[in-house]
Amino acid sequence: MTNPAKTDAAEIDAARWEKIQTVFHLASDLPRADQRVFVERRCSGDRLLIGQVLALLDDDVRGSSFLDRGVAHAARSVFDAATHSSLPGFSFGPYRLTRPIGEGGMGVVYLAEREDLGSVAAIKLLRDGLLSPSRRERFLGEQRTLAQLSHPGIARLFDAGALEDGTPWIAMEYVDGEYLTKYCHAKRCSIAERLRLFRDVCDAVQHAHSHLVVHRDIKPSNVLVTGDGGVKLLDFGIAKQLGDQSDVSDATQTGLRLMTPAYAAPEQLTGGPVGTHTDVYALGVVLYELLTGRLPFDLAGRTPSQAAAMIVDQSLEKPSSVARRAAAREGWTATPPGGRAAWADLDVLCLTAMHRDPQQRYRTADALIRDVDHFLEGEPLEARPDTLRYRVRKFVQRKRVPLGAAAAVFVLVIALVASYTVRLQNARNAAVAETARTARIQGFVLNLLQGGDNEVGPADSLRVLTVMERGAQEAASLDAEPAVQAELYQTLGSVYTKLGKLDRADTLLRASLEARRTLYGSEHPDVARSLIAQGRLRVEQARVADAERLVRDGLAMSRRLRPPDHPDVADATTALGRVLEARGTFAQAIPVLEEAVRLQAARGAGTPDLAKAIMALADNHFYAGHFDVADSLYRRSLVISKARQGAFHPLVGDGYISLGAVQLEKGNYIEAEKYDRSGLAIMEQWYGPDDPRTASAQTMLARALVRESRYEDAAPLLQRALATQEHIYGGVHPKVASALNELGTVAMKGKRLDDADAYFARMADIYRRVYGGGHYLLGIAIANRGSVAIERKDNVRAEALFREAMVVYGKSLAPDHLNFGITRVKLGRALARQARWNEAEREILDGYAILSKQTSPSVSWLKAARADLSIVYDSLGRPADAAKYREAAGK
Amino acid sequence: MTPGTRGNHAATTRPEPGTVLADQDALDHLFSVTYEELRRLASSVRHGDPSATISPTALVNEAWVKLSSSSRFAVMSPLHFKRIAARAMRQVLVEAARRRNAEKRGGDVVFVTFDESMAVAATSRDDLLALDAALDQLARLNPRQALMVESRFFGGLDVTETAELLAVSEATVLRDWRAARSWLAGEIRRAR
Repeated sequence: MTNPAKTDAAEIDAARWEKIQTVFHLASDLPRADQRVFVERRCSGDRLLIGQVLALLDDDVRGSSFLDRGVAHAARSVFDAATHSSLPGFSFGPYRLTRPIGEGGMGVVYLAEREDLGSVAAIKLLRDGLLSPSRRERFLGEQRTLAQLSHPGIARLFDAGALEDGTPWIAMEYVDGEYLTKYCHAKRCSIAERLRLFRDVCDAVQHAHSHLVVHRDIKPSNVLVTGDGGVKLLDFGIAKQLGDQSDVSDATQTGLRLMTPAYAAPEQLTGGPVGTHTDVYALGVVLYELLTGRLPFDLAGRTPSQAAAMIVDQSLEKPSSVARRAAAREGWTATPPGGRAAWADLDVLCLTAMHRDPQQRYRTADALIRDVDHFLEGEPLEARPDTLRYRVRKFVQRKRVPLGAAAAVFVLVIALVASYTVRLQNARNAAVAETARTARIQGFVLNLLQGGDNEVGPADSLRVLTVMERGAQEAASLDAEPAVQAELYQTLGSVYTKLGKLDRADTLLRASLEARRTLYGSEHPDVARSLIAQGRLRVEQARVADAERLVRDGLAMSRRLRPPDHPDVADATTALGRVLEARGTFAQAIPVLEEAVRLQAARGAGTPDLAKAIMALADNHFYAGHFDVADSLYRRSLVISKARQGAFHPLVGDGYISLGAVQLEKGNYIEAEKYDRSGLAIMEQWYGPDDPRTASAQTMLARALVRESRYEDAAPLLQRALATQEHIYGGVHPKVASALNELGTVAMKGKRLDDADAYFARMADIYRRVYGGGHYLLGIAIANRGSVAIERKDNVRAEALFREAMVVYGKSLAPDHLNFGITRVKLGRALARQARWNEAEREILDGYAILSKQTSPSVSWLKAARADLSIVYDSLGRPADAAKYREAAGK
Repeated sequence: MTPGTRGNHAATTRPEPGTVLADQDALDHLFSVTYEELRRLASSVRHGDPSATISPTALVNEAWVKLSSSSRFAVMSPLHFKRIAARAMRQVLVEAARRRNAEKRGGDVVFVTFDESMAVAATSRDDLLALDAALDQLARLNPRQALMVESRFFGGLDVTETAELLAVSEATVLRDWRAARSWLAGEIRRAR
């Protein structure tokens, strides 16, 4: 009955297909039995056509289960199979996968053995990375996120890479534990025990928040409790880096699909801005579940949109009543410490965290932790009405803007605020007044942090500045409390200094100092701190003499008024070291900074302040030419910064760039480039492209590229850096000079000698105006003009410039400093080109001796020196000596 | 470490002439959303929960809602977008099926769990690839018909929408569909 003739498309063309269809449609509505006769008559003997139409009619009846079941089943056949796929026994790198241990929205997690170490790890493999670019990006994002975080409550990242087919993987700490809720149920934990575990979860979340990371998928199955009762927060697979622009569109779109609706905050479901408050909500749900044994909303059998409507609209039943029912039903003793009355506090705690309006929630995980602590200690909650803090919160909330903003300022300011709070609390005056002041400052900072929208991040300095400006206005309105106002002016001024907005910083810091002098007179610890802050600003403004006076005054005052181990003294000592460095007197700066390191180390190993002091000391050793000392100090400070701040932090970036500078000086340009690129990546991501710190990093990278003779790569980096520096610092500033130096070098290599000389001349001019005539950097500028003169074959002028440069060096550098070595070799060449062979020999030999002591023998200066010496000895008629250096030069 | 992963789909994305297409970022994003939606669709089938079952129409509508806020798609009409979304679904599914089949057929990765449901799934994957190939051939014979199948099968467009998209009557859509379905069914069967 069935005609097996093929309707293979290869055998038919469009016209034939039309014919087939025409007959098909005419025949298809006839009774099945009549079709064959009709088709045969209609096609008048075209056997092929008859066969094709009949086959089509046959398939019309037969159909296709695949086509008829639709795309959903097709999708299932593709995606469901992946769930079954497992790779036990598969090895890559040092890992061998043992068994699958979990499956998340993003990928599959395997337990793996590390064969070389005999240890285990959890390996997460991304599923279908090639099919979904943003999924792949998110996976890499998780890797970056974990790399930043270092907290006992967060599973650590060990390693990351990609399989041969490009599938990315990450290796993490394997956590052998039980889900939080299961653990509590199995151990029949008391309310207090549950709260302590919950507090540890909050602490891990707070750590993430302090690194600008929002988890977005907090739920009990992402929290494991280990055998020793420690908690581990897992799965940062859909975490968001605040301020990471690439994720903005993604946050409320695909991100939404991946999180778990039961723990999703209303703003996640309605597409509102996601921030740290989102995690606070999820923590609230977890707490609800821990307290009551069930989820706050019954979402079973609901479609996603119904679920969303319930979460957004429905009001919550108090945990206490749910728990009472559960207790009656299951005989569970839901008695919190403090008895039944304490349930009212637990209701407030939980419902405040879960408030539908992000504004009404706990502002931060820290605030939630504080109230958990208050509860456990039997103290009144901050979230309770009728407390002073509650009123402050109300004051803050008047603004009606969402929390979570100004992440960059957050990092800078929170630490300062914490220290003010402590200082104010320890003050001798009446406790009530002090508490009010503390609350006022906290309120102020919260206000500051609440401006704008929630996506402000480190890269968005413009918006940060807007927030800062708002902060300054707020501070101006605090006339009634001049002490608080002065403190805030100093905070803001210091932040502005760091942001490179020096005029604004100046205004605020002056206002702070004046207010304090009016309040306390000229001799007071806070006045001392104002002086130091102004001194730091003057360094940035390149007003070094002023800076030194201010910092020395401030340090002396702190020493008079504070015990020797006080943080103010340590801080001022570091500041003095930096001033001496800016003056170019490294030999003086080094002992001062050694003292600063000692003071900071006494206050605690591994603090950021210690890292900064070590960094300052390293810088001065570096400038003094002690590269090996500098190298090991940089590494020491980098270890601290990484442990403390995570791998993605400007301090870490600074560390890389400094290590790059050391490698550059040692002649290891490729190494230098590698470090510089790591540093630049961090700076660009953290500060954005138009920031002075990014510009410095660009300059450093360009410097390495220049040494690798990659001028075309270097030039655009330098032009960008110069534009940024000029914009931020004005025309006369050392940082502008530094950019000019590099541009001059590039111009010279490109044989644009007039340009080169103009760049170096401007550079020299800047250094002369900023530092006066005695700074070694001025010497370098002059020596570089000498190099241009040599290229122009103006050897007399070159000689004069090199000699002038060495006079300048002599004022601050030791005679065996690298700069002397280089300049003597250059001077030797200028002399040799004037056929003054004996003088040339002496200079080059001296320079050669200095160079070979300090750098590796492959450095181009040494080669140049050898080549020049061989020419000099040839001309002096000493062929044996000439041959000796020629041979070495050829190597 | 920068995620230099954009552009994986450059080779597979073949916008038709005259298609007002968004930039690569927007397309990448479309593929990503489509991927997540298809995954959701697959899991709704697996769980067999009728209340959670999502039709492809709903998926495409949701994808449109999500993506239309992006200015890069805003210039398009919803219908035009659905057509592109249908194409994206086809490509994501076909690529996924190819990958799965490649995995299945070896390389250095060996799957030990090969239960019956996987065998069924593998057949459907082959059907999917056969449909893809047959659609390419149909596009040569009658582009409008191929576009119609793509929009209906992968994008879940209903008859009215399909008619509007192709600027033909609904009766024509039904006729074209019937012939194309029969022909494709034969092609898929013969490819087994």
